[in-house]
Amino acid sequence: MHSESLATNASNIIPMASSTNHKDFAKKKRANRSAKLKQCKLDARREQWLSQVKNKGVKEDSNGGTGGSLMHGSNARGRSIEKLEIRPRGEEENDGGSIHHYSDSESPSNSPTSHSSSVLGGNDSGTTFTGSSSSSRSSSSSSSGGFCSGTMSEEDDGGDDDCLDDWEAVADALAAKDKNQEQHDGSSDPTPKNKRAGLVDVHAEVTNQLNSGTDVSQSKSENGVPVQSASVNCRAWRADDAFRPQSLPNLSKQFSFPMNTDRRYGCGGSVWGCKNVASVPTSCPICYEDLDFTDSSFLPCNCGFRLCLFCHKRILEEDGRCPGCRKEYKQDPVEGEATFDGGSLTYRLARSCSMITRS
Amino acid sequence: MNTSSGGGMAALGGGGRSWSTTSVSASGKRIQREMAELNTDPPPDCFAGPKGDNLYHWVATLIGPHGTPYHGGIFFLDITFPSDYPFKPPKVVFKTRIYHCNVDSAGNVSLDILKDSWSPALTVPKILIALRSIFTSPDTYKPLVPGIAHLYLADKAKHDELAEEWTMRFAK
Repeated sequence: MHSESLATNASNIIPMASSTNHKDFAKKKRANRSAKLKQCKLDARREQWLSQVKNKGVKEDSNGGTGGSLMHGSNARGRSIEKLEIRPRGEEENDGGSIHHYSDSESPSNSPTSHSSSVLGGNDSGTTFTGSSSSSRSSSSSSSGGFCSGTMSEEDDGGDDDCLDDWEAVADALAAKDKNQEQHDGSSDPTPKNKRAGLVDVHAEVTNQLNSGTDVSQSKSENGVPVQSASVNCRAWRADDAFRPQSLPNLSKQFSFPMNTDRRYGCGGSVWGCKNVASVPTSCPICYEDLDFTDSSFLPCNCGFRLCLFCHKRILEEDGRCPGCRKEYKQDPVEGEATFDGGSLTYRLARSCSMITRS
Repeated sequence: MNTSSGGGMAALGGGGRSWSTTSVSASGKRIQREMAELNTDPPPDCFAGPKGDNLYHWVATLIGPHGTPYHGGIFFLDITFPSDYPFKPPKVVFKTRIYHCNVDSAGNVSLDILKDSWSPALTVPKILIALRSIFTSPDTYKPLVPGIAHLYLADKAKHDELAEEWTMRFAK
C-alpha cells in the first residue's frame, strides 16, 4: 500500500526524467544494454569516488546530501541505471538497517520482475516505484535523497556530475541506437540483466569501498550492500532464468513476492466468487423469499437448483425431489459442489457442512 | 393486502376488492408473485388471474392456437391452488368444453406436470404453456378419454373435424 501510493507519486514525478513508468522499463533495458559500454565509465567513476571519498570527509557529504541528490535528480535524465542504482544503495548504507530492510522487502516486487512477469498486474505500480527508486530515477532519487543523510550521495553526485557531461553524450548516442535495438533486445532480457548484475556488483564494491573510506557504520553497510545488490540481482532474474546465478542468497525474498501476488489473487478470487454468488438467485424460486447468505451458499442438488432452507426442508418432508431436476434429493447435500464456487470455496464447504448437520 | 394485488385484479377486471386471505402465507406470497409475473410478462395467448377475491382461485384463458382444430376458440379454465402450493400442484379444470383426449367431460386435465411430475419450481405461466402445448400435440399415450385418442390415432382428419366442431360450438 505504502509503496503503491508512493509509486503513484513517483510515476507522477518521473515523467520529467522519463515520460512514463513503462518508458522507464524500456529505458532501463536500454540502459542495461548499454551497460557494457558504461562499465569502463563506471570503473573510472569508482576510482573517482574512492579518491573523493578518501579526500573528503563525511560532513561534507551529509551537507550536500539532499541538494546533491536533487541536482542529481535533475541531471539524471537519460542516465543509465547502473549509475543510478548506486545511489539508493549508498543511501541505504547510510541509513542503515531499516532502510535496507525496507528496500529489501520491496525489492522482490521490483521493476525487472514486473516487466518479466506480466502476471503481476496490480503490483506493477508498487513495482515501478521500487524499481525506479532503486534505480534512483531522477524524481525518486531526489525524494529518497531527502531522507538520506548520505555520506556517499554527495560523492555520488560529485562523481556523477563529473562524468555526466560526456556520459549524457554517450547516452544520447546510445538512445538513438537503442530505439532500433529495443524490440530485438526486449526479448533477450538475460544478457542485459547479466550485464546489469555485473554492474550492480561493481557498485556494491564501490559502495563497500566507499564505506570503508567513510565513517559511517561499516558493519551495517558491508552487510547490507551485498544483500542489497543480491536482491537487485534477484530482481533481475526470473526464478527459472537459466542465467540466474546460483549464489543469489535471498531466494526467499523472491518467493515472498509471489505470495504477495497470491494474496492479490485471493482478492480477485473472492471477487470472482462474488460473481458466482451473484449468479445465485436473490430470492428463493419456490417461496420468493429473499435468500440470505446461508441460503445462497446452500447447494442441495447437483443440478444447481437453489432454494431456501425452509423450502428444502419442506420438500424433504414430503416429496423429497429436487424442484429443478425432479431427482430425489440425496440425504447429504453435495459437498463437492462447493469447489465450483471458486473463490469462496472454503466458505461454501463450511456452510454446506453445517447444512448437513442441520438437515 | 389489496394494495399489492390490485394490479392483478385490474387485469382481470376483478376490481380493487380485498383478498379474503387474511394471512400472507408462503403460498400467498408465491401466488401474488406469480400474478405479478403474469401481468408483466404473460405467455402468448394466455391469461390468468384470480377469479374473485380469493387469491387461491384463479381463472385462466387459453386461446386455441393456429394450425389446430381449436383455433379461434377461447377456453376458460379454473385454477385452484392448494394451501400448500407450490409444494402441491394446482388443480386445473377446463370450464369450456373441449374435444380433446386429455380433457374429460368434467374438464379434468391429464397433464403429467399437474400430477406426478409437478415441481415446486413450476409456475402458472409454465402450466399455461404446457396446457397450450396439449392443444397442438395431444398426449395419446395417457389419454383421459381413450375414444378421442383412438380416433386421433386412427383418423386424425375426423378427430380434427369433431374438435373443430366442438370448438365452434362451445368455445366461441
